[in-house]
Amino acid sequence: MNLAKYIKSDKMQNIFRRFLNKLLGKDKKLKIGLYGHPNSGKTTLANTMTNDWIGKPLGLSSEIPHETRKVYKQEHVSVKHNGVELDFDIIDTPGIATKIDYKNFLQFGLSETEAKERAKEATKGIIEAIKWLDDVTGVILVVDATKDPLTQANITIIGNLEARKIPFVIVANKIDLPEATPERITSVFPQHTVVPISALHGENTENLYEAMIKRFH
Amino acid sequence: MNGLKMDFLSSDALSTHTSMEKISMIVERVKGGNLVVIEGGLSPGEEAELIETTMREIDIENFMGIDIYTLEKDKKALFGISKKKAVGLTIIGPANIMKDVNKQSNFLSMIANLGDSGASMH
Repeated sequence: MNLAKYIKSDKMQNIFRRFLNKLLGKDKKLKIGLYGHPNSGKTTLANTMTNDWIGKPLGLSSEIPHETRKVYKQEHVSVKHNGVELDFDIIDTPGIATKIDYKNFLQFGLSETEAKERAKEATKGIIEAIKWLDDVTGVILVVDATKDPLTQANITIIGNLEARKIPFVIVANKIDLPEATPERITSVFPQHTVVPISALHGENTENLYEAMIKRFH
Repeated sequence: MNGLKMDFLSSDALSTHTSMEKISMIVERVKGGNLVVIEGGLSPGEEAELIETTMREIDIENFMGIDIYTLEKDKKALFGISKKKAVGLTIIGPANIMKDVNKQSNFLSMIANLGDSGASMH
């Protein structure tokens, strides 16, 4: 084959590949959103993931609920597992709740003015997190394994993901705590992929990365 | 008078409204201190819309949001065999009023906080 013919055939192959990728949706940029209740460990997990893959944390986490009140985004994260690579953006969202009582923040040493300000910001953060559901292509639902998983926020998130056909993995977080019962999460969501982990200690995160490759690739 | 007003809405009454109208109607009533009991459930999109609208309506001093509970029933299927559950009743109320909710698979008990007194409903 002469060079011109070779270039032409290579070009055709690329066009064909791009067409196939488009058809299969591979051209679409993966945006993985971390969703869940306030204090379920979304930011801790986002930090563990970005530390593992790009060597730097994504956001600040704390004991006080609604610490993340804005959406944080880390672009171009890549995870490899058994020769398969997954490129994506991580979107850390504020925790979704149906109520916010500023008095709950007072017990963490915040002044009344600070607590009220945090409550107002938290309401805006929840709206922002819900809006992002229109934009994510995959979700990691972070559930605190020490608490009841059947909450309205979790039911609403899962219902919306199913209705919008967004693939997701449920993370049963905080398995390092003695009161954690990840099997309870598996039993209430038997039809979904549930991965028990400790985001804080990086325990079982390999299993999560493997599940992400399977569900999101 | 220190009382709790409960509004029961049939699925027929709701079916004539758009999602936006349904959500506004629920939030308006709950914000006014009422407990709303709906026959059936909301769609996932409506649930998300309800949370979003609630967040916009939260007034730090007087309205801190909502609590939602559902009671499921077996979904009717062809030949009568189905393991799927459908929402039979949805109870939505102001978060500061709905306290001590005990939910089991086919039973829900709640104590409403009415300031100095308390009311119990099953």
